[in-house]
Amino acid sequence: MTKYIAPKNIVVYADDDPDDIELVEEAFRQFANNVEVVTFPDGSQAVSYLKNLSEEDPLPCLVIFDINMPVLNGKEALVRLRQIEKYEEVPVVLFTTSSMPIDKNFAQHYGAGFVTKPLGFEQMEIITREFINHCAEEIQKQIRR
Amino acid sequence: MMRLNAFQQLQECQQVALLYQQGVYIGKRKLGSTVIVLYQLEGFYAEVFYRTYRREIMWIDCFSETAKLDPYLAGIDVEHLVL
Repeated sequence: MTKYIAPKNIVVYADDDPDDIELVEEAFRQFANNVEVVTFPDGSQAVSYLKNLSEEDPLPCLVIFDINMPVLNGKEALVRLRQIEKYEEVPVVLFTTSSMPIDKNFAQHYGAGFVTKPLGFEQMEIITREFINHCAEEIQKQIRR
Repeated sequence: MMRLNAFQQLQECQQVALLYQQGVYIGKRKLGSTVIVLYQLEGFYAEVFYRTYRREIMWIDCFSETAKLDPYLAGIDVEHLVL
């Protein structure tokens, strides 16, 4: 008998701060059976990766961009991603140290979520749930099962 | 507007909530295994000392003296600003 193993849901995360990358990877570790986090140190590399995914590759269930990154910041990366037809509807979250309304409005304008980086453990738990809530409903069920 | 002495009177969880909602992130530095994150509130600064980054807070130090910003300023690359 051949056992079917469902492919993991891909979360793409770009951040130049290795501590924050570690934090998000750790946050998703509880869903490791269903989620794989693919990380990049800047927006440019993340957008290149996403652009070059073939038609056969599944689209990521969530893309997370830090705002302040070298080469291509999170806002620029979001704009570039939305210009690619297949990413018009893919859930994106700007994950940032900022809590400024101007950044929130920017995210909203481009159909993205906006999450301020946490200060403490309790907030990180909430934020992980928030990340997953941005995924499509079907994916949310798969991740949480 | 929250003043420094009023902030100091708050419980740590209240300080954390306020920094999360209103703090402006300035920078991060490391002191041995301790990670320290600096936020600005109106008229003063707060440093969050972490045992585990963004997870386990050791304490929060708040101050208004700009001399304490030096360790963060030293880490900013201003080369691209020089003509």
